[in-house]
Amino acid sequence: MRALLAWSSLRRHPLRTALAILGVAVSAAMLLDMVMLSSGMQVSFRALLTRQGFEVRLTPKGTLPFDTEARIAGAASAESVVRRLPGVQDVSPVLGTTLHVVRGANADAVFALGIRPAAQGDYTLERGTDAVDVDRMVANATFLTRAGLALGDSVVVAAGYDAQLHMWTARRRVVIAGEARFHYLATDQPAVALPLATAQALVADGGGGSPDQVSLLMVKTHAGVDAEALRRRIEREVPRVTAIATADAVKSVEQRLGYFRQLALILGSVSLAVGFLLVSTLVTVSVQERVGEMAVMRALGVSRPHIAQQVMLEGLAISVVGAAGGLALGLVTARYLNTILRAFPGLPAAIDFFVFEPTAAYKSFALLIVTAVLAGVVPAWRAGSLPIAATLRTEAVS
Amino acid sequence: MLLPMLPPMRLLIGASLLATAARGVHAQQRASTPSSPASSPTMTTASVDTIAGASAQPPRTIAIDERLVSDKGLRLGDTLELSASPGGRGERVVVGAIVRRAADPSEVARAEYRVRLHLDQLQRLGGIGDRVDRFAVAVTPGSTERALAAINARSFGFRAHRSSDVAAQSSRTFAVVSRFNRAIGVITIVASAIFLLCIMLLKVEERRRDVAALRLLGISRRTITAAVVLEASFIAMLGSAAGVAFGYASSAIINWHYRGVYRTPLAFSIVTSETVGFSVALSLVLGLGAGFLAARRLTGVPPLSLFGR
Amino acid sequence: MSEPVIEVPMGPPLLEAVDVARAYALAGVPVLAVRGVSLTIEEGEYVAIVGPSGCGKSSLLNLLGAIDQPTRGRVSLRGRDVSRMSDREATDFRLRHIGFVFQRFYLMPMLTALENVELPMAEAGVASRARRARARELLAYVGLEARGGHRPAQLSGGEQQRVAIARSLANAPELLLADEPTGELDARTGRDVIALFDRLHADGMTIVVVTHDEVLARAARRVVHMVDGAIVSDERNAPAAAGGPPRCTTSPTATDAPSPFRRPPG
Repeated sequence: MRALLAWSSLRRHPLRTALAILGVAVSAAMLLDMVMLSSGMQVSFRALLTRQGFEVRLTPKGTLPFDTEARIAGAASAESVVRRLPGVQDVSPVLGTTLHVVRGANADAVFALGIRPAAQGDYTLERGTDAVDVDRMVANATFLTRAGLALGDSVVVAAGYDAQLHMWTARRRVVIAGEARFHYLATDQPAVALPLATAQALVADGGGGSPDQVSLLMVKTHAGVDAEALRRRIEREVPRVTAIATADAVKSVEQRLGYFRQLALILGSVSLAVGFLLVSTLVTVSVQERVGEMAVMRALGVSRPHIAQQVMLEGLAISVVGAAGGLALGLVTARYLNTILRAFPGLPAAIDFFVFEPTAAYKSFALLIVTAVLAGVVPAWRAGSLPIAATLRTEAVS
Repeated sequence: MLLPMLPPMRLLIGASLLATAARGVHAQQRASTPSSPASSPTMTTASVDTIAGASAQPPRTIAIDERLVSDKGLRLGDTLELSASPGGRGERVVVGAIVRRAADPSEVARAEYRVRLHLDQLQRLGGIGDRVDRFAVAVTPGSTERALAAINARSFGFRAHRSSDVAAQSSRTFAVVSRFNRAIGVITIVASAIFLLCIMLLKVEERRRDVAALRLLGISRRTITAAVVLEASFIAMLGSAAGVAFGYASSAIINWHYRGVYRTPLAFSIVTSETVGFSVALSLVLGLGAGFLAARRLTGVPPLSLFGR
Repeated sequence: MSEPVIEVPMGPPLLEAVDVARAYALAGVPVLAVRGVSLTIEEGEYVAIVGPSGCGKSSLLNLLGAIDQPTRGRVSLRGRDVSRMSDREATDFRLRHIGFVFQRFYLMPMLTALENVELPMAEAGVASRARRARARELLAYVGLEARGGHRPAQLSGGEQQRVAIARSLANAPELLLADEPTGELDARTGRDVIALFDRLHADGMTIVVVTHDEVLARAARRVVHMVDGAIVSDERNAPAAAGGPPRCTTSPTATDAPSPFRRPPG
């Protein structure tokens, strides 16, 4: 009967109830989005970094991956030392550089990765074959489209431009063997990958120093290995590198993008506050309108807790229905907001800012329900505490 | 502006996502007093005498980041050793100037230290020879396009860009943040409008008996609607004033907080007269609109019905 | 015309008020709404409390019905002191032992007539099937069995008051208290309600009404006059055969439905 009375009270003013539910739905949507935003980057970035199982990354001392043009010298010996460490399953060296694809008098710059195809974790081959031979190359769809090239085409890649002689000191003819999707690069960024030795030779011949250098060494560990302990061991064994575990990388990204987490916290709190005010005001006015009825119910023998429960049920009903609608609305707005943020230049294609996890939905729902309960407490207490005789007298006079 | 093709990853967010502190060169401090502490593997201490007698050439001066001053205790006149690799051979330099960080948005998320050297010294230290990343070209007013075309016609392997285009490119990150904030703002406004309409409906309906009595006395719908709208406008104005004050206070808090976090003089939040004007206008429109709708709804009901008969 | 009704008191009084007083603070000044009233009501009596506006009739009714607590004195129902009960005890007591009818009906507007009658039974924990059956019985008793599915807005004032009366009988109370039950009704529908009260009384219900309505006052068997918070007279109405007011034992609304609470004699 209490539920029926609460429901009948809400049905009495359908427009008001609908508006309140809509208001709660928008608040719930915003809350869900902010909960998703606060953890989305971390989830997404961690998934990206551990995609192929590489838990530790080695970079030139004091740098982070591809943040500068610094390289790890003596790459082969560094790799060999790391491979011998217990817990290390595999090591993937990566050289990142800018090469030029020369076509006639024109040269288009493209970001190039020198990799070892069998061990690489930077891309997924989608068509064709991998760059297993020295004169083979894979490219992403953006590069192929912009350059007007296709699988099987051969191109000249060059490095080391001499402005006085107008020529390249390093050139190679390679065949585009496959098309790949590069995980750590932005979708609109043209990119190619060549065998490591080819890339190293091009860089060296182009005046980039010794061929025995890489930008990054990715370390894959056996299952159950303590990545942090391995990281510290590597830094001791190879002092010219900085070793970064996935957890550290994720933490550093979170620090850099702390703005979004703080924004999520603030907006989430505002959403809850708005929802609280809406439910609380609606229920309070609803009680004020029905003091006569409530006094009569008390006179008929309905107990205080039951009156209070009926009032709280009203607030709860609005919040539950609003939250359900807000969940659907929140997923839509999250997708829209994610689309906006994914336009960040240079953002890896695999990164999302809004990641839906069931725990996010549960958390939002639970927060809203608690808020609804709290919002109904004061009006419910007031409804249950009405002085019966005085209220009946006042209602009779009015 | 002449630019070779920059490594594509060297853009703000790419760097932000994958980097924390980047050190292009490594600084080793030779302390001017024996009591200065060694603070990291790249910083060591040694006596001034050793340093002073070791070199025939007087050391050149560099300018250092103010963060180095506060974090590492460096001062004007300190002698440092700069090398391109940790523990590698370097050159002695003297701190000749301290540079304050500019209020540059693209610098905000970058935590690395900066030093400024003479070009030839950096080229020599880095072993990069006669190479630069870019030139900045100043042209006479009105001749930007001609200069651009002329340079690009002769360039090979690099291109000239307008500074404004470069600025637009490097501002893409902030354009994204602006769009995001605007989207959040729109959602917030929608939620506020719904909330406002709901509250106004509630508050006006609370007084339905008063309205009924007035209607029975012969007061017209128009008069009652006008009275409610007037009341709503008063509340909207008060609310707007409170909101503007709150906005100013919030803006100050945001700037204080993020300036501390990112150690930058950049203003993260600016309240302009346009922003205030827009916000006040919007809140007045929403408030009046909500009041009008609520009033019309109420005055549209027959008075006796309002009494519950 | 039916035979005159002869009331014979049976056993101890059902309701007893001893020197009850009730003071209210109005702008900080204490005002005695009820001044030292003593009243005894026997089981099966039909009492009307009359008096000018503000004389304390409704206040006295609230005290008798355990809605309010006296500032002084004692009210007991079947020997049980209701004037010092806790709120929880008083609430439960009202639910199970007292029925209320108000001037403004106070039906729940979004519930049907049937659901309104079920309300007190739901609170008392009666199973839904049982309370629905009883609610139908009660609506039949008041002549509204065909209107159970209607909401209050679809009923006339008289019909709403009859639903309210049916609601007040939901938990088979021992005492029915009515505060101006015909106050919002026209004369014709008022007479229907008066006839219903007559029928209730004939079926054994103890009724106390507060009223300005002379017809209702005359229909009662006993009239208590109040002025300024005190009882000034307490008279029995003459039976109909002796020239007293006619008893409305039948009415357009009376049905053949058996009384749902007929009490055994003695």
